[in-house]
Amino acid sequence: MDVDPPNYDNVTINDSDVHSIVLSYLVHNCYRETVESFAAGTGMNQPADYLEDIEKRKKIFQCALEGNALKAIELTEQLAPDLLESNKDLHFDLLSLHFVELVRSKKCNEALEFAQTKLTPFGKVQKYVEKLEDFMALLAYEEPEKSPMFHLLSLEHRQQVVDSLNRAILAHAKLPSHTAMERLIQQTTVVRQLLNQDHAKDGHPPFALKDFLNG
Amino acid sequence: MARLLQSEEDEVIGSKGVIKKVEFVQIIAKALYSLGYKKSGAHLEEESGIPLHSSAVNMFMHQILDGNWGESVATLHSIGLKDESTVKSASFLILEQKFFELLDGGKVMDALKTLRTEIAHLCASSNQLRELSSNLVSFSHDLRAKSRPKLLQELQELLPPTIMVPERRLEQLVEQALTLQRDACVFHNSLDREISLYTDHQCGRDQIPSRTLQILEAHSDEVWFLNFSHNGKYLASSSNDQSAIIWEVGTNGEVSLKHKLSGHHKPVSSVSWSSDDGKLLTCGVEESVRCWDVSSGECLHVYEKSGPGLVSCGWSPDGKSIFSGVNDRSICMWDLDGKEVENWKGQRTLRISDLEITRDGKQIMSIFKETAILLFDREAKSERVIEEDQTITSFSLSRDNRYLLVNLVGPEIHLWNIDGDINLVAKYKGHKRTRFVIKSCFGGSEQAFVASGSEDSQVYIWHRGSEELIGKLSGHSGSVNCVSWNPVNPHMLASASDDGTIRIWGLNSHLQQHKKLQQVHSNGGSMAAAYNGRT
Repeated sequence: MDVDPPNYDNVTINDSDVHSIVLSYLVHNCYRETVESFAAGTGMNQPADYLEDIEKRKKIFQCALEGNALKAIELTEQLAPDLLESNKDLHFDLLSLHFVELVRSKKCNEALEFAQTKLTPFGKVQKYVEKLEDFMALLAYEEPEKSPMFHLLSLEHRQQVVDSLNRAILAHAKLPSHTAMERLIQQTTVVRQLLNQDHAKDGHPPFALKDFLNG
Repeated sequence: MARLLQSEEDEVIGSKGVIKKVEFVQIIAKALYSLGYKKSGAHLEEESGIPLHSSAVNMFMHQILDGNWGESVATLHSIGLKDESTVKSASFLILEQKFFELLDGGKVMDALKTLRTEIAHLCASSNQLRELSSNLVSFSHDLRAKSRPKLLQELQELLPPTIMVPERRLEQLVEQALTLQRDACVFHNSLDREISLYTDHQCGRDQIPSRTLQILEAHSDEVWFLNFSHNGKYLASSSNDQSAIIWEVGTNGEVSLKHKLSGHHKPVSSVSWSSDDGKLLTCGVEESVRCWDVSSGECLHVYEKSGPGLVSCGWSPDGKSIFSGVNDRSICMWDLDGKEVENWKGQRTLRISDLEITRDGKQIMSIFKETAILLFDREAKSERVIEEDQTITSFSLSRDNRYLLVNLVGPEIHLWNIDGDINLVAKYKGHKRTRFVIKSCFGGSEQAFVASGSEDSQVYIWHRGSEELIGKLSGHSGSVNCVSWNPVNPHMLASASDDGTIRIWGLNSHLQQHKKLQQVHSNGGSMAAAYNGRT
């Protein structure tokens, strides 16, 4: 049963708004070629070097996801010079990606050396100490993927770090760090859930985005 | 070293036949070694043919002290331990030591290797492993490894005593015996902590106050109450003559009058010392409570209510408030300026009742029914009750606030435990009481005794733990109403009597000293009016 109030049909939607939403999503996620053809197809105007920026960001993320964190850091420094300085958490997370890579390739001694030289300077602040301990514990296991910290080796973890990096770079360039699409979906979900709470006794099922999308 | 025959291994010594000779010799040898007498220890092992440790254990100990980790772990497995988990824990301790020593020596890579290959599978939990690995990146330059002798000691504690005799076992056994002796000693009343090993400890009666040292005669009527200050330097007494007196206890134990506190128009039934002994409260029966400055004798304040009279008084432990029972059955609390701060109505106290407040200021105790005492927690607002089967005349609180001594009409004195569950612990009998309110108190070294007044003019003393009556002190010529034991000098007791006097009691040996002092004084000049060498 449809819970939507009937009057939403009266809300007009501007085409250019929709284009902006879609474009911002594509830009955020570095779909360069799609951005080019979409922009051309809808006749939108964009600043000249934005395609280049997208390309640069894309390169950074690929490096990081593959495990080449040092290269990613280098490129980030080029693109946004003081970003990592002012964002210590991110810097630490990126360096630790390299550490994890060394552990994965069983280069334990190198990993230890790297940790001692690059990561311990962060240890003066308490919150990094715990993270450091997590990473050190990885070293103690001959099969780190079987340790309690195995998630640090996973693709999901690298993805998370890359996401944070992305948002940081965008913010640095004064672009929105969250896409309009994300925000809209988040808002809708919250509103629908609140509405559902009020009408729960009417027997309506809770809001699920998947169901909504499937019609 | 000779090997023991089977029969020798079972040999027992001692009159009761319960001491195994092998164990006995081994703990003596161990004691010799820990005292530093290595040669004697070794000699004993040889002469008796009883080795302290098996050869495997000896080897193990050497390997630990030399840092041969791998070998020591191997030896560990051959010692013959039945419990796998002990072997595992001991191996862990040894390898942990290896790990830390490598780190302290700067060999980080080797330490890492040890951690990964040797220690990881021995860890009891992943947290333990995590803690160890966090040492790989250090933030301090302190040494992490403990000393090897300390490691050996920890291993000794881990291994069963049959393999390795525990350190200091002989000392422990002796201490146990001494404690038992001390606890069994009924007359033990000394500040002296030393007990000799030569004979069983047994104090004689001469440790209990039994002789009158002084008779203080400054009151002109029955003396109803007295109490030593917390620091034992002063004594306060109160009387039917409407006054209270502060006495000073001199350095040689001589008591002299310091201040006479007049002002009440009714008999003074009780006094209360502030925790710092700087102020004294006195309570006039159904009248007012007065606060006095101890050093000047000046009356600082009069607390009263318009209408009802006050019947008891007590200090809050922080010295900022004063409690008092009122004859309308309530209890109220004032600040030092006389402003009434709180009031607990309802039947909280009787006209004649003691008032006690615990050291943390939370509980207030008073007799609220003829046969019951109320313990009121003013913070938690909860109440507990001690129910008796006879009328209660008075009570007092122990110094540790865990026990209450309750005087009953019987006459009987009951000791109650009020810490946690309330229960009756002991009863004391023998004294006499028919008409008056008699008070008792705790006293002596570690409050091991109970003392009470009696209508037969004697002071009664019991051993608290065994309930045994161990002393009856005569001298007064009237009912003894109250006794107080000096909290700092376990050999000094004071008693207050209807005969208008206060007697100071001490040890027999002190009496001889006093007599000598008296001779000196009588050759000198004036004597304080209170001092009298009569016995």
